[in-house]
Amino acid sequence: MRVSDKARVRQSRIVHGVLILISFSLMFLGKADLAALRNLRMGSNDFLAPIVDIVSAPIRGIETMIEGVRTVASLRAENVRLQGENDLLKRWRRRAEILESENRQLRSVTGAATVASRTPITARAVTAPGGGFAHTVLISIGSEKGIERGNPAVTADGLVGIVIDVGRAYARVLLISDINARVPVILASSSWPGLSVGQNGQFLDLQFLPDEAKPKIGELVLTSGHGGVLPNGLPVGRVDQIKDGKIRVRPAVDFRHLNYLSVLVGGLDGIDNSNLDLADFYTPMPIDDSTRLLEGLNSSGKRK
Amino acid sequence: MKNQRSYFEKADFQSGLPLQLLTATLGLTLVLLELAVAQWPVFYGSAPNLSLIFIYCMIIYHGKHMPIFTIFFMGIIGDFLLSDLLGGRATSFMLLAYVMQLRLVRLQQSDFGQLWIDFAFSCAAVSLFQLLLFSAVNFAIPSLSPILFQIGATLILFPIGYLLIFAVHRLLQKVKMI
Repeated sequence: MRVSDKARVRQSRIVHGVLILISFSLMFLGKADLAALRNLRMGSNDFLAPIVDIVSAPIRGIETMIEGVRTVASLRAENVRLQGENDLLKRWRRRAEILESENRQLRSVTGAATVASRTPITARAVTAPGGGFAHTVLISIGSEKGIERGNPAVTADGLVGIVIDVGRAYARVLLISDINARVPVILASSSWPGLSVGQNGQFLDLQFLPDEAKPKIGELVLTSGHGGVLPNGLPVGRVDQIKDGKIRVRPAVDFRHLNYLSVLVGGLDGIDNSNLDLADFYTPMPIDDSTRLLEGLNSSGKRK
Repeated sequence: MKNQRSYFEKADFQSGLPLQLLTATLGLTLVLLELAVAQWPVFYGSAPNLSLIFIYCMIIYHGKHMPIFTIFFMGIIGDFLLSDLLGGRATSFMLLAYVMQLRLVRLQQSDFGQLWIDFAFSCAAVSLFQLLLFSAVNFAIPSLSPILFQIGATLILFPIGYLLIFAVHRLLQKVKMI
């Protein structure tokens, strides 16, 4: 090996090492959630999202084509199913009208406050989660449409997630299936509160339910509205499995077919969304005695 | 005569920058394509790691045109767009590139079957590295099935990527000979 080659190899190894060091440090800086880094991230997303959109166009075309072929193949069965569903919906509509009227009357009696109005703005999901480590999507609206950090994103089926980063024309939504997403919820039939925790997978975990709560398979899980960031009553999912004390919830929204969603703008007055760390926001009080340390102990070492 | 020699020397040692830029553009397009593929319901949350296939094959056959900066940018842009742990992908890709460079001659002499097995280990190592970092930083273990599915899909697509890059490699060799 010539001297110049040796020097070149040494130089390339140094550059290699420096770049590894830089990217390794970026991991910790990224986790520190610095405003500058967040701006850089959203700036690059603003720049790259239109390019991703262009690259995705043929892929979306193929997907639409496959979907079209599948739809044609199952048209007859789909028609029968839709007719049945239509009959069911008509019955539900009549029932809903009765309940709505009853609800209105009850509200006038009890004086219950209605949820602060939020304006829905429709957006297109530009990306989908591509890896097993983060469940987020880029959406095609940003600060120029009035989107703020903390705004919930929903579809007709239920809660999709929460806006965590806002750029000029694009924003990033943390899906409720992400491992860092924690949503305060209640069981629809019994109103017991709990916390839905994402697992970066298909299902959510329902945690911190009181021991008295007895969730049933198929029971609806709704947002509780605790913390004030999310409005109450949004469907989060349905209880899918209860095994060894672990409650698994299937999200109400099928994230695999998420193309359009609505961001509910407004309703964040008085909420500090500058440092929206969801884990801190929704961490409930400890319920396990072992985590309470000396709290409530009397002189004989027993709790009151 | 002397002038003629220096002229030919200049022609032999022409800059590799245009090809490096072309490789970088192709690599970055692949990262974006990876993101586009993730929109297919079947690949939800576990899109095949096309950029890893590209990096692996390029280092073996066109290492000269694959500078470390390209690998760094492919990783960082993937991190930005996928909102992964910033730098996690870039670090794992660069570490893989470093390890591959240490074993480059052996890899170049391996047949396809051996390369596929080696790629399987490399792909698993990259995912494991990212998983360990993710778990250490977030104090939580994510669902493993999407990660395993991603490794599987990447391994299935490896022969196609390998074939394409190997074909380009052979074509370039033929052009050089002519």
